[in-house]
Amino acid sequence: MREVCERAVETALAAGAEYADARVVVRRDQFVSTKNGEIDSAADSETEGLGVRVIVGGAWGFAGEPELADRGAEGAARRAVEFARASAARTRRPVALADRPAEQGECETPFERDPIEVPLEEKIELLLRAEAAARHEDVKIVETAVRAMREQRAFRSSDGADVVQTFVETGAGIDAYAQGDGRVQIRSYPSAHSGSSAAAGWEYVERLGLEREAPRVAEEAAALLHADPCPATVTTVVIDPEQTALQVHESVGHPTELDRIYGTEAAYAGTSFLSPDDLGSLRYGSEHMNITADATTPQGLGTYAWDDEGVRGERSPVVRAGILEGFLTSRETAALLGEGHGGSMRADGWSRMPLVRMTNLHLEPGEGSLDDLLADVDEGIYLATNKSWSIDDKRLNFQFGTQIAWEIRNGKLGRMLRDATYMGKTPEFWSSLDAVAGPEAWKMHGLTNCGKGQPGQSAHVSHGASPARFRNVRVGVRQ
Amino acid sequence: MREAPNALALAERACLLAEGDEADAVVTAERSGLARFADSAVHQPTLVEDRSVGVRVVRDGRIGCATTNRVDDAGLRALVARAAEIADRAPVDPGFPGLPDRAAPPDVEGWDEETAAHGPADQAERAWAAIEAAGDLGLYGYYTSGETELAVASTRGVAVSQAITDVAVLALAAGDGRSGYADASSWRAGDIDPAAVARDAAEKAARTERAGEVEPQTFRAVLEPYAFAELLWYFGYSSLGALGLLEERSYLSGRMGEQAFDEAFSLYDDGLDPAGLPKAFDFEGVPKRCVPIVKNGVVTDVVWDCRTAARAGRESTGHALPPPAQAHGPQAFNLSVAPGDASVEELVSRVGDGIYVTRLHYLNIVDPREGLITGMTRDGTFRIENGRVTEPLVNLRFTTSFPALVASLLGLGAHARLVNQNDFYGERYPYGVVVPAVATEAFTVTGSGSGPGL
Repeated sequence: MREVCERAVETALAAGAEYADARVVVRRDQFVSTKNGEIDSAADSETEGLGVRVIVGGAWGFAGEPELADRGAEGAARRAVEFARASAARTRRPVALADRPAEQGECETPFERDPIEVPLEEKIELLLRAEAAARHEDVKIVETAVRAMREQRAFRSSDGADVVQTFVETGAGIDAYAQGDGRVQIRSYPSAHSGSSAAAGWEYVERLGLEREAPRVAEEAAALLHADPCPATVTTVVIDPEQTALQVHESVGHPTELDRIYGTEAAYAGTSFLSPDDLGSLRYGSEHMNITADATTPQGLGTYAWDDEGVRGERSPVVRAGILEGFLTSRETAALLGEGHGGSMRADGWSRMPLVRMTNLHLEPGEGSLDDLLADVDEGIYLATNKSWSIDDKRLNFQFGTQIAWEIRNGKLGRMLRDATYMGKTPEFWSSLDAVAGPEAWKMHGLTNCGKGQPGQSAHVSHGASPARFRNVRVGVRQ
Repeated sequence: MREAPNALALAERACLLAEGDEADAVVTAERSGLARFADSAVHQPTLVEDRSVGVRVVRDGRIGCATTNRVDDAGLRALVARAAEIADRAPVDPGFPGLPDRAAPPDVEGWDEETAAHGPADQAERAWAAIEAAGDLGLYGYYTSGETELAVASTRGVAVSQAITDVAVLALAAGDGRSGYADASSWRAGDIDPAAVARDAAEKAARTERAGEVEPQTFRAVLEPYAFAELLWYFGYSSLGALGLLEERSYLSGRMGEQAFDEAFSLYDDGLDPAGLPKAFDFEGVPKRCVPIVKNGVVTDVVWDCRTAARAGRESTGHALPPPAQAHGPQAFNLSVAPGDASVEELVSRVGDGIYVTRLHYLNIVDPREGLITGMTRDGTFRIENGRVTEPLVNLRFTTSFPALVASLLGLGAHARLVNQNDFYGERYPYGVVVPAVATEAFTVTGSGSGPGL
C-alpha cells in the first residue's frame, strides 16, 4: 500500500503538482439482516483503490483508481494533475494549506474479537433470537441487522506524512413495526435507522443485549398503536441520549464545519449561520451547553490517529459554557481562518476527496439522573429515539420526529404519546437548555449515514450525550 | 444502445466460476468526472474510474451475495468462494422465487458518443462556462458527466448489458441575502447549456433580496419542477414499490383502484422514455416496462421485482435493486408525471394568492402511511398575490401531505422536464424524474427559517 502511494505522489510531482497526497483504501463490509424469522440479506463486499489529490497552479485535482499497482498509481496521478491544470489558469485564490507536523506511524482499532471473522451462523442465530423475543400479536414486522467492517487506509503526502491505519467497526439493531387501524408504529433498539455501531469488535454487539431489549421494543411499538397523539403546544421537553445525539450532530456538528462556513457546501448540504468572526464570542446556548470534538474517544466511529490529510486527531472544545470555542477544520480552511492546522478531514473510501467531517462530537454530561431532570418538570414531554429529521441550509430551523414520547406530569412520566415532533431554531433552542444529566446517564451512539459532498459521501461518526432538558419548545407539529 | 462487451464478459466469467444450483452476476462500471465549484472556483474536481462485480449464488435454496472490485482471475475466484460460503451457512430463503429467465430487453436510447468521450478538460471547461455566466454573483454547484455500464448474466441464460451516459449541471447563484437555483440533466451533453443554467440561477437570485415572512398555514402554491420532483421522489421511495404495498407500510396500501388523487394527475414509471434517463433492464436483467401507477387520479399499480411479484402472483416489472439490496424492495427510478396544458404564468394566475416555490432542501418522511413529508424551501421562494409573483420570502419549513397536494391540483405545467435526483453516492447509476411545474391548493407551511443567500 505504501509503495503505491509513494509512486502516485512521485508521479504527480513529476507531472507538475506543487503538492500531492495519495490514499490507498482496502475495505471489507459484511451485512446480515433478518425479517420475520427469515434471512433477508447476507452480503459480503470488498473494494480497494487509490485516491490521488494534487494542487497544480493553486487548483485542486483528484482522481480515483481501483488498480493498486504502479500503472494505476501513475495513471491516477496524471489524471488528477490534468483535472487541476484545467482550472489552474482561472483560479483567483490559490489553495494554501496550514502547516502541520509530518507524522509517520501505524495505528489499529483495539478489539477483542474480529467481527468480520465471526461465523455467519453465529450472527444469524443472534438476530433470530432477538426476533423471537420481539414476538407480539400487534407487531407484524420485526427486522434485525448486524454489520461489520474492516478498513485499511494508507496515506502519504509530498510534505512528509506517511501513516497507515486499520479501522474495525461493528453494529446491530432491531426494529419492530406494529400495525393496526391503518397505522404503523415503530420502535427500535439501540437506535433508529439500522441500530448503532462502534469502532470495536464483536463484543460490542454481544453487550448490546438485543434479545434482552426485544420484548420491551415490541410492547412499546404495540402500545403506540393505542396511544394518544402528541399534543401541539409549547412546553418543556426532556430528550433521551439518542435523539440528543442527533440534535448535536445536526445543529452543532454541521454548522461548525468550517468548509460550510466558507460556503463550499452551499449548493448541496448548505452553509452555516456561523461566521469565522463568531469564534470565541458567539453565545450558542446556555451555560449548560458544553460540546467537545474528540477524535480520541474509545469506540468512536469518528476516532482516528490521523485524519485523511495526515493531521493527528485531537480532543478540543467546540462550545464551552454556551460560547462558541472551536470549528471543525481542514488544512485549507485552517489557513483561511489563520488558526489551527486542520484535523477533521475524512473521505468515504478511495474514490472521493476528503471533506471536513465531524469527529466524534459529544454533549458533555452535567449532573444527576434522568429522574432528577424529570423531577423539575410540572408539565412536559419526554422524547425518545429518532424517527425523522430535517434542518435548513444554514442549520437554523430544524424539525425532528421521535418514535415515542411520554407526558411528564408533576415530575413523573405519564401516558405514552405517539407521532411526536418538535421544532426550533438552533441558538434559541440551545439557550433553552437548563439541565444535562450526569456521566452515569451518558451514552454514545454511532451512526453510519451522514451525507455530504458532491459526489456524495457517507461518513461514520459517534455522538455521546446524556438526557437533556429544554424549556419552551414547540412540539406536536404535523400539519 | 451500445454494447458493453467488457462488462458483460466479466459478468459471464463470474457466473461461470460460481459453483451453485444457480448464480447471477451484476457488473457496474463507471468513468466519470465531476467539477464541483463554490464561490466561482472549481474546488472539488473528482474523477472516478471503477468497476465492480456482484455475485449471487444459490445452493439448496440458500443464497449468498458478495461484491468486489478486484476483477482479475484471483479476485473473481475469491468473490465466488465468499458468496458460496455465505450460501452454505445461511438458512433456506423460502421467499426466493428463483432467478428470472432470459428475456430480450427493449431497445432504449440513453448513450451518447460525444458525452462518453468527455474527459476532465471538457468537464472543467463546462463548469467554468457556468461560473463565468453568473455575473457578479458567486456560483456554487457542479458540472458532471459520466459513462456507466451495467451488465447482468446468469446461469439461466440472462446476458444483457447497457451503456448509459449522463450529464448534469447544478447552479446556485448566491450573494449576501440573495440566492437562486437552476439545474439541468440529460443523457446528451449537447442538450445542456451550463451558461444558460447559471444565468437562470442568477436571474432568480436577483429577485430574492429583502425577503419577507409569512405565518404558517396551508397555502395555495406553485411548485417548480425542481421542488415537485423532490417531493415525488421521496413519496416514491416510501410508497410506490410493491414491498411497502404488501407490508401495508405504503400510502397506497388499501387504495388500489381508488380515486386517491386529482383527475389531472397521472404518474408512470417509464424506463423506456428517452426524455428521462432510459434503462433497458433492472439489476436482475428483467426488461423494464412502463408501469402506469396513477391514471387520471386512480391508483392502478406499483413497481415490482421478482420476489415481490412471486409473493403476489404477479410478474416483475423490471424494478429490482442489486441482490444485496433487494431487502429494500423494488424501486421506481424513472418516475414521470404527465404534463398539463398551463404555462407557469397561468399556474400562478390560478393560485391567485399563495406562494411560489423553486427548490426544496433536506426532506424527510414524517409518516409514510400518510405520505407526510417535511423539509425547507430555499433559493427562490416568493409570495403570489393577485395572480402574480411578488415579494421574495424567507426559507419556509413545510410539513405537508404529498397525497393531499396532488389530490387538489389547480393545474399542471405544459412542459415536463428531467430533474436529476442522484447525489452520486456510491457507484454511479443515473436516475431522475420527469415532471412539470404544478399548482396546488394544499402546501402546508409549518414555520420559517433563514433568508436567502449564503
